[in-house]
Amino acid sequence: MKIAISLLVTTVLCAGFLLSAATNLPILEQSARNLYFHVPMWFVMMSMSGLSAWHAFKYLKTQDLSHDIKSEAAMQLVVLFGVIGLVTGMMWARFTWYIGTGKFWNWDPKQTFALFQVLVCGAYFVLREAVQQERSKARLAAAYNLFAFAILPFTLFVLPRRMQSLHPGGQDGMPAFDKITDPTMRYIFYPAIIAFIAIAWWLWTQRVRTKKIEMHLAHQ
Amino acid sequence: MFQSTLAVFQKDMRLEIRNRFGINTVLMFLAATLFILLFSIRNERLTEGLTASLIWLVLVFTAVIALGRAFIAEAEQQTMLLLQIHAKPTAVYSGKLLFNFLFIWISTLIAATLFCVLTNSSPTWSMLFTILTLGALGLSGTTTLLSAIIAKAGNKGALLAVLALPLLFPLLLPAVAATKSALLDVSWRMIQDELVTLLSFAGTVITASVLLFEYVWND
Repeated sequence: MKIAISLLVTTVLCAGFLLSAATNLPILEQSARNLYFHVPMWFVMMSMSGLSAWHAFKYLKTQDLSHDIKSEAAMQLVVLFGVIGLVTGMMWARFTWYIGTGKFWNWDPKQTFALFQVLVCGAYFVLREAVQQERSKARLAAAYNLFAFAILPFTLFVLPRRMQSLHPGGQDGMPAFDKITDPTMRYIFYPAIIAFIAIAWWLWTQRVRTKKIEMHLAHQ
Repeated sequence: MFQSTLAVFQKDMRLEIRNRFGINTVLMFLAATLFILLFSIRNERLTEGLTASLIWLVLVFTAVIALGRAFIAEAEQQTMLLLQIHAKPTAVYSGKLLFNFLFIWISTLIAATLFCVLTNSSPTWSMLFTILTLGALGLSGTTTLLSAIIAKAGNKGALLAVLALPLLFPLLLPAVAATKSALLDVSWRMIQDELVTLLSFAGTVITASVLLFEYVWND
């Protein structure tokens, strides 16, 4: 499984950098390749948030600590891929949107809300550290996780739609992936989404295994 | 269910009327913050956007300070167990939410009025009133559950602010935009979207809280 995943990720990385992107749009040009890396990060972040919330829900239902481990591990990956997504987005924006200004950040709504989503994850870990007792830590963290997940649609889908944004889906968004995008880019873009979700999933299983061993050792 | 909700609400109300610790703390906090803020900007020309953001900044910190006490007081006086035995979780939550809403609603009204009077701005008062009511609903809906969480987590310093501020961001944005419109004296149609967003935010957080509260409350 891990060999298949690493092959897929390698293929996507190579194809993303090597194949001709065939975008002759002004400004965007070769930076369009970032589509294969920046956009899948958010797909990963979404699916990992979903996974984390699902296991938080399962924990509250079953009181089984293995679900808490799974939920926390998924949340760690949300932070990891959220930060990578923000950084790749900043790089992309620096060389396209604000070309010549030297700016990395301009409070674009999607950018800002994604940052806040990462802050929520940070708060989740602060909460975990604040509680000593294992069971109540798991319970409170799960409740906070689900509460934040209920608000997630507002930060990522409802509010940015209503504001001016350079992202697709804003009020007059730059169509980074739209009719004018070369349709051949889809042949790399869709596998890239699958590849990054797959590698995140694999990392998640490794985190869960490590944590389970750690817990096992701690109880001995 | 309804009766126990009302009983929890009355208990908190009576305690508050008896020693007035909560309301005095909030009023003092508001007074100190507003005077420092307004004194430091006394002759600057404030734009409507700036005024709106400053108002909401003050309101959010007031909410975090005032509403954190909801469950911490129960933990300190060791009355949590009593409530757990006598009332259903949903009733406890609803009673606390009702009290918190009333508390923060009055505080926001006082704060915003003071702010507008002291900065000589003249908003459309009915509009501001509606925005503050919906905003207070969202603020109390979010902080009530979170204050239960931190009371269970042993009330660690600034934990409530850390947990609440990122979650309150989707409330602040439409609230600031609507307040700005209210200060600019525009028609109701212009802030329709913001009001709907505020209402749906309050609906979402309260629904989620009712569903989750049971798990936070019962050990």
